[in-house]
Amino acid sequence: MRPPTVNLACIIDDDSIYVNLLKKIINTKNLCSNILVFNNGQQSINYFETLLNNLKAEDIPEVIFLDLNMPIIDGWEFLDWFKSIKHKFKKQISLYIVSSSINPSDISKAKSIPEVYDYISKPVRVKDLETIFSKTS
Amino acid sequence: MLLNQLSNKTVDEIDIGYWELKDNDEILWSKAFLSSLKYSEKEAKINLNYFLNHIIHKEDHDLFRNNFFSFIKNGTDFRQSMLLKSRKGKYKEFVCTTNFNFSLKLNENSRFIFFNKRKFKTNKKVSKNKFYYKETAEMTKTGSWYVDFTKQKSYWDQQTRRILEYPEDYIPSLKHSIKYFPKAYQKLAKNTFIECAYEGKKFNIEIKMLTKNNRSFWVRAMGKPVFNDLKKIIGIRGVFQDIDASKTKEISLQKTSNIVASQNKRLFNFAHIVSHNLRSHTSNLTLISELIDTYDSCEEKLSLIENVKDIANSLHETIEHLNEVVTIQTSTNKSKSLVVFDNILNQVIKSIGQIIAKENTTIHSNFSKLEAIDYIPAYLESIFLNIITNAIKYKHPDRNPIITIKSKVLDNNKILEISDNGVGIDMDKYGDKIFGMYKTFHYNDDAVGIGLFITKNQVEALNGKISVSSEVNKGTTFKIEF
Repeated sequence: MRPPTVNLACIIDDDSIYVNLLKKIINTKNLCSNILVFNNGQQSINYFETLLNNLKAEDIPEVIFLDLNMPIIDGWEFLDWFKSIKHKFKKQISLYIVSSSINPSDISKAKSIPEVYDYISKPVRVKDLETIFSKTS
Repeated sequence: MLLNQLSNKTVDEIDIGYWELKDNDEILWSKAFLSSLKYSEKEAKINLNYFLNHIIHKEDHDLFRNNFFSFIKNGTDFRQSMLLKSRKGKYKEFVCTTNFNFSLKLNENSRFIFFNKRKFKTNKKVSKNKFYYKETAEMTKTGSWYVDFTKQKSYWDQQTRRILEYPEDYIPSLKHSIKYFPKAYQKLAKNTFIECAYEGKKFNIEIKMLTKNNRSFWVRAMGKPVFNDLKKIIGIRGVFQDIDASKTKEISLQKTSNIVASQNKRLFNFAHIVSHNLRSHTSNLTLISELIDTYDSCEEKLSLIENVKDIANSLHETIEHLNEVVTIQTSTNKSKSLVVFDNILNQVIKSIGQIIAKENTTIHSNFSKLEAIDYIPAYLESIFLNIITNAIKYKHPDRNPIITIKSKVLDNNKILEISDNGVGIDMDKYGDKIFGMYKTFHYNDDAVGIGLFITKNQVEALNGKISVSSEVNKGTTFKIEF
């Protein structure tokens, strides 16, 4: 199997079953080398803020999978924050919203945000994941 | 009640129109009364039915009939202005009164009703106009009034007195004019009046007024300032219309519409919850089946069984929650009964006694203002249980939980308030989400986000309201209006 082209992927989601399955797929298909997991927006913000103080390229994820419905800080709030700091990373970060919401207003709102690369309704398909990672590399 | 001899039925030579009601139920009409209507003694078919059907104006008919019979039966005095048709077909205005202060050699066994002609020093055209104004005022239930600042007096027309149920000779009070409004509307009345009097602001408002008999009703009140030549405000002139019937309908329609809107919102919310919460499980199942295809070895495939179990469990849990919500929505016709707050609270304290003791919780309750309500007992128990366990779960780390529960009645609304001294919730951030399903705002591991959602559904299913106010680090207060 050829080595993964993506170094670091980040999953922000409070559904632990989904996170486990996603990790398994990524590992089985060898789509990327390392995976970061956060259970809510707050945890991920904490991580990125620490990272901003000490920028190391290998710690900056190339792909983010963001859920919308989460406790404490939800996906929308994370996006608001992310918009304001994204430019500081000086690295291409592809952010995907992955949500079980099929509410059209959620979808169009998400797609109108320039920082959002695409909106994926759960369930995620293995094929989609392969495409995402090959695009990102 | 026709007598043979007409001459016996007209009485007296004095120039005042009246009826004499004899104790044998016979009614005699005075000559002056007949002549004031241009009837000769011989022409008039003297009886009550003729008077009601041919002489009195139809607008005055019902009131007079009521007044007349309550005078006959109960001796209730009355005073009423009315239009009477003369023989030539013209209406004239009379004031009819029972306790007329006039020394008359009257038969002591009889009772009397007097009819005084209203005297207008006006020409025919004006009185005709006046008649139309009066008709309009009566038909539209509109009264007019004037407040004179220089004389410090207020003036009402008859229609105003009639609408407000005051007698025709009532002199309105300017000083105490606030008493014409029910308490809840006195401030609005005062402010409107003051703005008009001092700033010359016209007004057109809907407000409740109070009649002499303490009946409150809706009116549309309009008014404008009156200026003198020096552009100084010297009074206020206005009209008001009795709109009670339509306003009451409007309010009940608004209520119905609110109920429909809130039910619709709940339904929409529920549909959203169902689709969202079930989707997250089904999408996980789909993901697992994809993974099964991806894996080559049997061991790997079998390792996914644990995940399937997890999904089955959480799917089951979600369905239980949804089921609970459906049960609330459909069981509102469950029998309500008189529920005593204190009893239910004690039941709840007993059932979670261990948690209460473990966290050194103090519960103060005061139900003296409202001891019991008509409610579904199980709902009240669940409301108490959810809010109290929340208060303990989210207690402030530096202090023991203190929960204060009290009931009260405010403006006819029955209210229950439950306050705690816990960590509080950031209302700016989460205010609109507190009662949402699976919304949690704290780092507690056992936060599920179902309790307050159920509570809100229970309260609303019985047409109540629940609201929350909170301050971070100070505490939270839940207010339930039943």
